[in-house]
This record gives sequence, structure tokens and C-alpha cells, in this order.
Amino acid sequence: MISIDQQQKLLLSVARRLTKKITVYAVGGTAMMFLGFKDATLDIDLVFESEKDREIFQKAITSLGYLEMDALKVYGIKRNAPKMFKLDDERFDLFVVEVIDFIFSENMQKRAEQIHQFENTLILKIANPHDIILMKCATDRIKDKDDAQKIINSTKINWDIIIDEAKKQISLGKDRAAFDLGCFLEDLKTKMKLDIPKEVLKKLFLMVGKQAKERRKK
Amino acid sequence: MDKIELLQKLTGIQTIESVMDLLRVDRRMAIYYLHRLRKEGYVKTKRQSNNRRVYTISVDNKLGGKSYYEIINRYSPIKVSTPSVYRIYGKEPSLEEAIIHAIKTKSLRTILASLALFKRINNWTELYRLAKENQIARQVGALYDLAHRIMKIRRMSKTFRNNALPQKKDKFKYIIERLKSKDFMIIEKTWRVYLPFNEMDLEEYQ
Repeated sequence: MISIDQQQKLLLSVARRLTKKITVYAVGGTAMMFLGFKDATLDIDLVFESEKDREIFQKAITSLGYLEMDALKVYGIKRNAPKMFKLDDERFDLFVVEVIDFIFSENMQKRAEQIHQFENTLILKIANPHDIILMKCATDRIKDKDDAQKIINSTKINWDIIIDEAKKQISLGKDRAAFDLGCFLEDLKTKMKLDIPKEVLKKLFLMVGKQAKERRKK
Repeated sequence: MDKIELLQKLTGIQTIESVMDLLRVDRRMAIYYLHRLRKEGYVKTKRQSNNRRVYTISVDNKLGGKSYYEIINRYSPIKVSTPSVYRIYGKEPSLEEAIIHAIKTKSLRTILASLALFKRINNWTELYRLAKENQIARQVGALYDLAHRIMKIRRMSKTFRNNALPQKKDKFKYIIERLKSKDFMIIEKTWRVYLPFNEMDLEEYQ
């Protein structure tokens, strides 16, 4: 586990080793720590705007001693799995634009209003809590549901943002978005007894129904 | 009570009484909870004129770093609240950067407050470099001239002025979309930049 202080120090040392100014989006546990939902995380999940930026970041962390590890162990066989780097207990999961079956869309980038700048080189934008839930749905590891629960319990969720984003994801070619999100939220509602409005699930599964009809037509 | 839950309930400005109310606990427990959060670095304490303690509880206190708004508020008589989080770690943000950031926010009050920073600018080369990088050199020049009208400030370097002044072909630019000045048209013409302020807006500086 990595605490807030350790994370700050780590990001500062990475920033000092970066050769170019880059902008990165923090999703998952890291974003939750910056937003005050958590005080420690297992991994630092980051989304880059381009492969080139990821390479620059990768160089910086490997110079700190981080070693690449197999993403299969954590994510299984999933598309757009991240590049993973580990040193002792700390782990970086580095995505480029796509996080498994979701795209870190332009709207998500705009919603990331909180900015943390490390030295002159590392601009870290913190994903909006709504988008963190979506990303948690994308990665869907065991701890992700607990994290989503924490967010839903501690902040007011505007479900329209989540539904609109699911629509956006479908328009961007991520056909599974509504289905995955619906299942994820249904799990949270039934297994974890979270207060997720029925209409939200209804709207999501209606979208899935529509998609299925359109497919049949084709 | 879980630390994160405690933090979420108490985030904001609190007194011991408000903590007691929010957590529905007695004074002794309220002090204990505040102590726990302070130990983790989430609490900043100030005293009012009547010696009462006011606690600012926030994740930002724990995260540390500096924000441009802190710099503006330190040097400007006009104070601004923090509309968005932009914190900087590992270096001390400069006044030059704060001016550029203020202009980029396109917020009337932030830009107004940042005018006071011109009093303390001495690295004009850095200011020009940043302004040029962000394509707002003319805006900086126009705001400098405006600040010069209302307060005593250091002279702008000739290099800055010569390099930043517009050419005849340059079109007028807005600092804040669709806001023009009725009282500072000469400055606007000189820099080919519309200023978002009138004389009345600057009263707080006089």
C-alpha cells in the first residue's frame, strides 16, 4: 500500500526525471486519495494522452528501479490492459486513452478539473468521481467494487452524468459500456446494498436492449 | 469512527461547537476527533480576534503544495476564493506564473486581484517568456498599463514592451470574451486588447 505522503514523494521524484512536460489523468485509487475518499492505495492508475507520453513516463520510473510486470496476473485477458511496473509494494498501471473497455473520453478529460503540478514537468489531472466509478467498472477487480461503494456512499452522484457517459462510450465504439456498467451497478445494488436508483439500471438496460435490436436488424 | 468518514463529515471551516453538532458528540470527543485529524495533517487552526479557534479541515492541508490563489491572496488587497484546485509541488510558484495563471482563468475577480502582483514583478524576461508561451503577451502588457494607472508599480522592461506591443495588422483580443472597457480605451488601442474593467471596478484599489 502507498500512502498520500509516499505518493507525493514518488510523483515528485518521477517529475524530476521526466524529460518533457506531460499531462496525465489519475483514475482509480490515486484519484480517490486526492479527492479524500481514501488514504492509501495499492496501485497508481494513470491514463496518458499518447503512447509517447507513456514512454517518457515509463523511462522515468524505470530509472527509479521499477520493473515491468505481466498485466495478465492482475487484469486477466482483457483488451487495453495497462503496462504495469512494480517496485516493492508500489505499482504503476499505465493506460493510454483506453482503460480496458472504456475510453477516457474528451468529456471525462474536461470533467477532471482538479490539477496537481509536480515540479514543471508533471501535470496530474484528477478524474471526476463519476468517471472514477466508470473506470472502476472498466477494470472490475475485486477491490474496485469496494472503491465504487466508498465513492457512492460519500458523495452525491449525478446519475445522468454516468448514463450520458455510457451513451458517449457507445457512440465511441465501446459497445459493452452500457451492459458492463449496468451489471456493475446491479452488483453494487444487490450484493453491497447500495442506494442506486432503479431508473438508472432501467435506462442502462434499455440502452442494451436497443443495441441488441439494432444488431439484429443488421 | 473511520478517519475518511470523519474527514468527509468535517471538511470545511469548523469551530469546536460545529464539530460537536456535526458528529453529535460531547466537547471532549470533538477535541479528540480534531486531534486525530490534525495528527494526520488535515487540520489548520486559526484564531479569531476573540481568541476562539477556527479549524480549516481539508485534504488539501494534507496534500501540501502551493496554489496560485494563495500567492494572489498574499500580495493582493482583493482576496479571491479558490474556484478550482491547482496545486504545485516541489517548487515555489513564481509571481510571474501567478499572473499568467490568473489571466488564463478568464475570471474577472481573479484577474482584478492579480493586478497587484505587478507591484512585485522584477523578472520581466520570465514574464515575457511565459506570456509568449501562452500567447497572452499583449494581454499582460495591457493589464500592466492598467495597473500602472491605479497604483504605484515598477516600470516594465523596455524589452517586454517592445516585443509585446502589437503590429498594425494584429486584431483586437479579449481578455474575457465580450467584455470591453469604456474608461480605458487608450490602453485598449495601444495593446489592441479589450480590457474587462471600468474605472468603477478598480475602486477597491483606491
